[in-house]
Amino acid sequence: MNKGFVSGILLLLVSLPVASSVFAATPEIQIEIRDHLFYPSTIEVPANQKIRLFIINHDPTPEEFESYELNREKVIPGNGKTVIFIGPLPPGEYPFFGEFFPKTAQGKVVAK
Amino acid sequence: MFLSTVILVLQEILEAALLISLLLVLSRLLTRKSRENLSIPLGWLPLSVLFGLGGAWFYAAMTPAVSQWFDYVGLEVVNASIQICTLTALVVFCFMFNSANRINRAAMLNTLAPVLMCIIVVLGITREVSEIILYMNGVLSNPVNVSPAILGAIMAAGIGVSSGIVLYFLILSMPVIWSYRVCMLLLALFAGNMASQAIVLLTQADWLPYTAELWNSSGLIPEYSVTGQLLYALVGYEANPSVLQAVFYLLSALLIAFSPLFLLAWRNSKETNDYDLRENT
Repeated sequence: MNKGFVSGILLLLVSLPVASSVFAATPEIQIEIRDHLFYPSTIEVPANQKIRLFIINHDPTPEEFESYELNREKVIPGNGKTVIFIGPLPPGEYPFFGEFFPKTAQGKVVAK
Repeated sequence: MFLSTVILVLQEILEAALLISLLLVLSRLLTRKSRENLSIPLGWLPLSVLFGLGGAWFYAAMTPAVSQWFDYVGLEVVNASIQICTLTALVVFCFMFNSANRINRAAMLNTLAPVLMCIIVVLGITREVSEIILYMNGVLSNPVNVSPAILGAIMAAGIGVSSGIVLYFLILSMPVIWSYRVCMLLLALFAGNMASQAIVLLTQADWLPYTAELWNSSGLIPEYSVTGQLLYALVGYEANPSVLQAVFYLLSALLIAFSPLFLLAWRNSKETNDYDLRENT
């Protein structure tokens, strides 16, 4: 059998998981909600890249992540977790708030 | 707490209230003005509100579970599916008024029309009111919030329902052909709004690819302003829509605009046919 062919296949097999992990590498950022506040409340993200926000709500009450600038809106059940994809974003500031407790739950995404 | 409750509840209720009044106007126009002996019993409305509230309660109870589906994007997928089902029901409704199937047409339309309207309203109320239930459940767990939240919700419900009633009488106060035209035009824009919302949800879930922002009018009419909110509920206004959103908004609105029910409203009123909606002579 052609040695070059075999090693080519092997190389492909080895590089496949690497390649797919490169494409699947959407950076994840974790946000926590406690007592109707976001931690951290300012999130720095790389500009022009899709981001996976992983939000953990430690309050027993539900909250709604909302942002007009990011065009996002999603309910997070009490003591629940959720995922929201945002971006790719041009550099800038994007405020968000918790619509169920808008006075306290405020934050912003800073894309750099 | 009072004000934020009013805003949140109103946002949810307004869209459903306006949609219901458009469907009511249409029911009335189709029943009274057609030559086809259509009579759409208005019983579909209380029944669909009741089923919608049941659905909303069920969906609110299911939210913590649904939220974990598909790697934590279950809510987006289910909400987008609800939007797509509502849109489909609206499209079927507008297309079933074609000129084929003359035999038993009136009987068929009389049964199908209320069923489809019922589906549209039940799905709308389920989606919008479930969020109000979740919110109220959370907020009411703190005794301090009980009275402002309940007062706020009642006030918002009042404003929402009154807006629906105002729209209903506003449209019906026009000459018949124009009531029909405005009603169909608004329904076409509603269809666009539903498609655009489904696209946002699926993009948020990463089930659809990101597309660039088409425009940004947040400086001109911010989405959170009263005008912005009203325009959102009425025509699906968005300050920074993506290309994909705009494309699907346009496609869905055009689909309704080319349906027999819509074309009937806009055809030359001198032309006669057996089911035009001009006053019976």
